[in-house]
Amino acid sequence: MEALEYFLPTVWFVFLALFLFLYVMLDGFDLGVGILSLTASSEERRGILMTSLGNVWDANETWLVIMGGALFGAFPIAYATILSALYIPLVLMLLGLIFRAVAFEFREHAENKLFWNTAFGAGSFIAALGQGFALGSVIQGIRVDEAGHFIGTTWDWLTWQSVVVALTLIQGYVLIGSTYLILKTTGELQKTHYGTARLAAWTTLIGAVLITITVPTFFEQARDRLFSTPQVYIFALIPLLGVLLIYLLLRSLQKEEEVAPFVWTILLFLLTFIGLGMIIFPYIIPTQITIYQGAANPSSLVFMLTFVGVLIPIMLFYNIYNYLVFRGKVTEETYG
Amino acid sequence: MDVFSNTVVLSRMQFALTATFHMLWPVLTTGMAIYLVVLEGLWLRTRNPQYYLHARFWSKLYLLNFGIGVATGLPMEFQFGTNWAPLSEAIGDFFGSVLGFEGTMAFMLEAGFLGIMLFGWERVSPVIHYLATIMVAFGANLSTFWILVANSWLQTPTGGTFENGKFIIASYGEAIFNPFMRNSVMHMFFATLETSLFVIGGISAWYIINKRHTEFFAKSLKIVLAVAIAVAPLQLYIGHLSGEQVYHQQPSKLAAMEAQWETIPAGQPASWSALAIPNDKEGKNNWEISVPNALGYILEFKKDLSEPVQGLNSWKPEDRPHMIGLVYYSFRIMIAIGFFLAGLMALSVLQWLRGKLSAGAIADQKWLMRAWIFAAPLGYIAVESGWIVRCVGRQPWTVYGAIRTADAASNLPPSNVLGSLSIFAVVYSLLFVSALFFGSRIIRQGPNMELPIPEVGPRANIEVKPVEHRPDQRPLETTQSSSQS
Repeated sequence: MEALEYFLPTVWFVFLALFLFLYVMLDGFDLGVGILSLTASSEERRGILMTSLGNVWDANETWLVIMGGALFGAFPIAYATILSALYIPLVLMLLGLIFRAVAFEFREHAENKLFWNTAFGAGSFIAALGQGFALGSVIQGIRVDEAGHFIGTTWDWLTWQSVVVALTLIQGYVLIGSTYLILKTTGELQKTHYGTARLAAWTTLIGAVLITITVPTFFEQARDRLFSTPQVYIFALIPLLGVLLIYLLLRSLQKEEEVAPFVWTILLFLLTFIGLGMIIFPYIIPTQITIYQGAANPSSLVFMLTFVGVLIPIMLFYNIYNYLVFRGKVTEETYG
Repeated sequence: MDVFSNTVVLSRMQFALTATFHMLWPVLTTGMAIYLVVLEGLWLRTRNPQYYLHARFWSKLYLLNFGIGVATGLPMEFQFGTNWAPLSEAIGDFFGSVLGFEGTMAFMLEAGFLGIMLFGWERVSPVIHYLATIMVAFGANLSTFWILVANSWLQTPTGGTFENGKFIIASYGEAIFNPFMRNSVMHMFFATLETSLFVIGGISAWYIINKRHTEFFAKSLKIVLAVAIAVAPLQLYIGHLSGEQVYHQQPSKLAAMEAQWETIPAGQPASWSALAIPNDKEGKNNWEISVPNALGYILEFKKDLSEPVQGLNSWKPEDRPHMIGLVYYSFRIMIAIGFFLAGLMALSVLQWLRGKLSAGAIADQKWLMRAWIFAAPLGYIAVESGWIVRCVGRQPWTVYGAIRTADAASNLPPSNVLGSLSIFAVVYSLLFVSALFFGSRIIRQGPNMELPIPEVGPRANIEVKPVEHRPDQRPLETTQSSSQS
């Protein structure tokens, strides 16, 4: 039983990380394409951008729903505390997601598309911004009492660190969105996004460097863990690998490869995630409540595990199938 | 008590607004998904292209609804954490896992196959496409199941104990199969189906009365009718069972539904108030039309009550629901609509049997068609009324008998909640108007009868001659096998 009480929360921590990673990767390119649609030079191009998401956006967003449900069930206290502490950024995110979701259909049927174009682009941007603020303040730590209840104030989430994280996340989304569009488009449109991808790769790099340098100032526990041996070698490895990946990404963009930029970007996201996970673990509400303190009781965790554990490969299977059915280039606007 | 400085009241208003608004969209997509399964099945069986064109036409309305449903569903899940943190912490072990199941089992299934169902007509074989449609319908209805499991558990929280306000689960089986679960799931399942049927029927009637594609829409009206023959009466019966379970399990809600202020002991007949003006302050009805001896027949189909009906005055004011008039009239509106829809179904079936609904004659049934158009929005009103009865009638409890709503809300600054509530109100109003506008535009445009019909049959293979299909409204992509390269 002792071992189980350590094992189960760890498994759920990994599951949550997996759901969050899938969400950030998949809805990341989704939101990134949305932000890029603000720069689309014609209605036709914007139409192609939206068509490239038509069959996948709702499944991508569903990973967020699953993440929320899993956090709610596995770590109720973290769900309650983090969500209520981040009230404003999360409401921002929800409003952004609402506007971009309805824009798909409303734009299709509207004669004057300007309003819904803006709703789609700005909604994507606001959603990404809200997520960035939320991520930033979670990394930085949420002020709680010993029982894990929020004791901070409404504006705790707004700090220079969370601003840096939010801006970097937006850059990351634009980067993965650009590389997705390189994969899905041809001709002039594709060329444009080689450009945006290159630019976004540099701005993401700047953000990542800033965060990497400043993370140790975020909270003490992270500092202690980062600089103790042997962890320090692992943590040193992550930025090095990151630089390598950015180099490979820029080179593949230079060579105008089609698939490689998307793959390198995904690996870059994965690396960032592993780094973040290692900093946050074993906390579920940094910097106070660990996964062992915040977990639901073991019988709940086992019960959820039986269901969700079986369903993860099934979900992955039919999601991949969906991508395979719609593989290939989008050449004209045919959404709806 | 100032409403605008009370976080609990504001959070309740926000939940009520977002839930009421969200409910409008999945009701149609859930029920219509079953209709689409029926249409596509008929097409595959009969090879009649009209069924295919029907499936494509109704899918447009489906898609419009689905987007808004997804968008407005997200705030539902997140609000438990943002606005109801103490509740989430107390019941998360069970309630959170149920929402997790809903996402992984149901919602993802629907979302994962939706792309293929809507845009994949010529990318996969008809059988795979049909499978995708079935998965969408199955996923949507599985969502109904899990959401109603979660809500029923709030009504009748079994399967564990509350220790220091926190729910400790003992048996998942008992918690999932709580006393309210079975009837509530069925009531909602039939509610989505019945609402969708009457929306489809109403729109079909509108085309018929305007003499547009009369034969085509006479067909959809008849499919609707054929399904409604079973659904409308069954829903009345399940509605009765749902009322009966309130009688046995939630006495304070029953008292509110019937505006019953004084207790009626067991073993006696009781009069039933058909219409009344409940006075919450004085604890009585100001005015009332009552039917003698009727309450026993309504609750149990017999004259004498087998259990007492507790009156609202037997609780302290803080232990019973308020807004009695809202609960009382919502209940009556729901029931009236249920009977109206069943009556309309019966009348239409009668006309059908008399041969008046044949393609040539149906346009002459002006009043019947008008009644169908009138009935189109009624299902929604019944669903919303039912949820008002269910959730306002449950007050002052969030978890009936265990956690009070006042103790369930996050300790947020009222200004935050007032701000988000106002924004939601504005945004949702905009969405509502836009959805009506674009929905009626889709309807006015009508079905596209020119769509190429995919080949069905054992030898049908979409890869054989893809270039001969004209582009349609799917995301057209040049695949590697295409001849364009």
